Amino acid sequence: MATSDSQLNSSSPTNDENDFKINKSVAHFAKELSNASYRSHKSASEVVFRTVASLKDVIMNDQWTTAKELIDLIHMNGDHLMEADPSETCTSNMIKRILHIIREEYIEDLESKTVEKDTSNSLKKTMTSERRTKDIDYSKIVPTLKTSIIDHINEFVTELETCKENIIQQAKQHLHANEIIMTLGYSKLVEDFLKKAAETRTFEVIVAAGVPLLEGHDMASNLSKANIQTTLISDAAIFAMMSRVNKVIIGTNAVMASGGLRAYTGSHTLALAANYYSIPVIVLVPLYKLCPMEKDAFEANNYFHKVMAPTQGIVNPDDASLADRCTIINPVFDYVPPELVTLFISDRGGNAPSYFYRYISELYHPADHNLNL
Amino acid sequence: MKTILETEKELSAGMAAIRVLLKVLEKSNSKTIQELREQLIDAIAILRTCDCPITAINSGSELFLRFITLTALDTQPFEECKKIMLDRGNTFYERLVESRQIIAQKASIYLYGGQTVLTHSRSRVVLAAMKRAAEKKCRFRVYITQSSPDTSGAEMVQNLRDLGIPCTMILDSAMGYIMESVDFVMVGAEGVCQSGGIINKIGTYQMALCAKALNKRFLVLAETFKFTQTFPLNNRDLEPEYKFTHSMLQKDTAEQHPLVDYTPPELINLFITDIGILPPTAVADELLKLYL
Repeated sequence: MATSDSQLNSSSPTNDENDFKINKSVAHFAKELSNASYRSHKSASEVVFRTVASLKDVIMNDQWTTAKELIDLIHMNGDHLMEADPSETCTSNMIKRILHIIREEYIEDLESKTVEKDTSNSLKKTMTSERRTKDIDYSKIVPTLKTSIIDHINEFVTELETCKENIIQQAKQHLHANEIIMTLGYSKLVEDFLKKAAETRTFEVIVAAGVPLLEGHDMASNLSKANIQTTLISDAAIFAMMSRVNKVIIGTNAVMASGGLRAYTGSHTLALAANYYSIPVIVLVPLYKLCPMEKDAFEANNYFHKVMAPTQGIVNPDDASLADRCTIINPVFDYVPPELVTLFISDRGGNAPSYFYRYISELYHPADHNLNL
Repeated sequence: MKTILETEKELSAGMAAIRVLLKVLEKSNSKTIQELREQLIDAIAILRTCDCPITAINSGSELFLRFITLTALDTQPFEECKKIMLDRGNTFYERLVESRQIIAQKASIYLYGGQTVLTHSRSRVVLAAMKRAAEKKCRFRVYITQSSPDTSGAEMVQNLRDLGIPCTMILDSAMGYIMESVDFVMVGAEGVCQSGGIINKIGTYQMALCAKALNKRFLVLAETFKFTQTFPLNNRDLEPEYKFTHSMLQKDTAEQHPLVDYTPPELINLFITDIGILPPTAVADELLKLYL
């Protein structure tokens, strides 16, 4: 599994200095990722595109002959990227997707396009197939491998480019006339989703401001500019306002394997309030945010949570001395358990949280789920 | 066949059943698939009469028959087919043996240190998971129910103490009392139903209800060979042969304590299996892939 791969990576005797040098574009991107001011302004889709582009550069320009070498190479460059910003899940998701593409293309090219593409494990496979997915030998030389991987990655990039549009197009199915929608903080995807629906029908949006960053202010102002009737409330008023709401629509930072969310702080409160009044919670999520790991796997490394400075929204910088007298915790994310989410809208349509494990087995290879394990 | 099963006590009953059936397959002198199938069905009927929990035996043999059918579909001449069956049967069995370790590895993300876990009765796979975590130097605390009527919890406590894992045995009736102080519940299963519910040692249902009431996660560690095509809706629906041993069925069952209960899928958060971490709804999917 991943363990053996990474061990080989670090202890392989053929480990020539030149073979294992970090690719230039990866190094460049990693440097930017580790820069705090870039981190606070980047968007997830930008990170996704740049990760894929830099890994594509590794595949095209670095020296490798077998799939095994390439996998090691991606592992090493990937580790470098993940270290730059360990709390960013999109980078690791993309690394795993690329690894999956490599494995898939390798098997396909090796057996000249006859085998099923499904690399996931299943009970049926345990019984019928003689070959195990985990002990496939990746060290055979396949001359066509590079071109087929690049082709597949190009296809994948096109999929990534269209995924946002695919989600927005579903807006009309989910939003109806005269409904009251509640959202929290700012999400470009939610904004575009609501605007798309507003083209054909009128509805009202209640925006919770979303402490500590108060990005709900931008959301409210953007929506009102698009002629959507908008109400801005404080986070503390979420519960009070919930009883009149028809739907809650939010974005998320990542979706865990079980369908739980790692979303902007306050989302759990919002979801619980919605649950109390039995109001559906809809989460918009492009599939690149789907993370094949469980929350617990992050927690073991303390990467799940991220905290900001107390002066970013909790205490006034003039009162900074307050921090000397008491502990101030300013987390960025909430974990929302899957039971509180009614529906996910992804680029492949609407799904219940319990369905996500299927996407995971389709999009990722079991050996890559947890790169640190 | 009974004797083979008895000497294999350390093995789970389902695995033992598959092993016995492999032996039958090896020694069988049948000339056609049909005949072989009948012989196996006879053997299964004998296995079912032995005095141990039948759930796993059922799922194991069900799976074995399906495996025979699937292989029979692939090749034509019987002699060749039988050879392939034996060959595949052995790799299949080896893989089942490995599955416990795979689960232990997957479960390690939940046991990374610092947790308090509640478990019920004795489960080999839970033990393997805890053993692996302890070997990785993760410190966690375990509460184990004594688990009437056979007090198998006591055996589990002994096993965990031998591994140096801090553990406490509690009374079955103290489940509710202890629930507030644990982080999650981790149990094994004798059988996993198509609905995504589980059949396990009596008291599991109660534990799942308590966990739900206090919003604690309920994790089930189960090998995929325990998946069965049954669909009970409640505990009364459960076949008597699951609930009682063969010898108990000879007497008045109203006077007997059932040995297992059914826990519905709503009370289960996740399954940790050798094919991955799955929600309860995934069980039906896997079974459909196999039997369609």
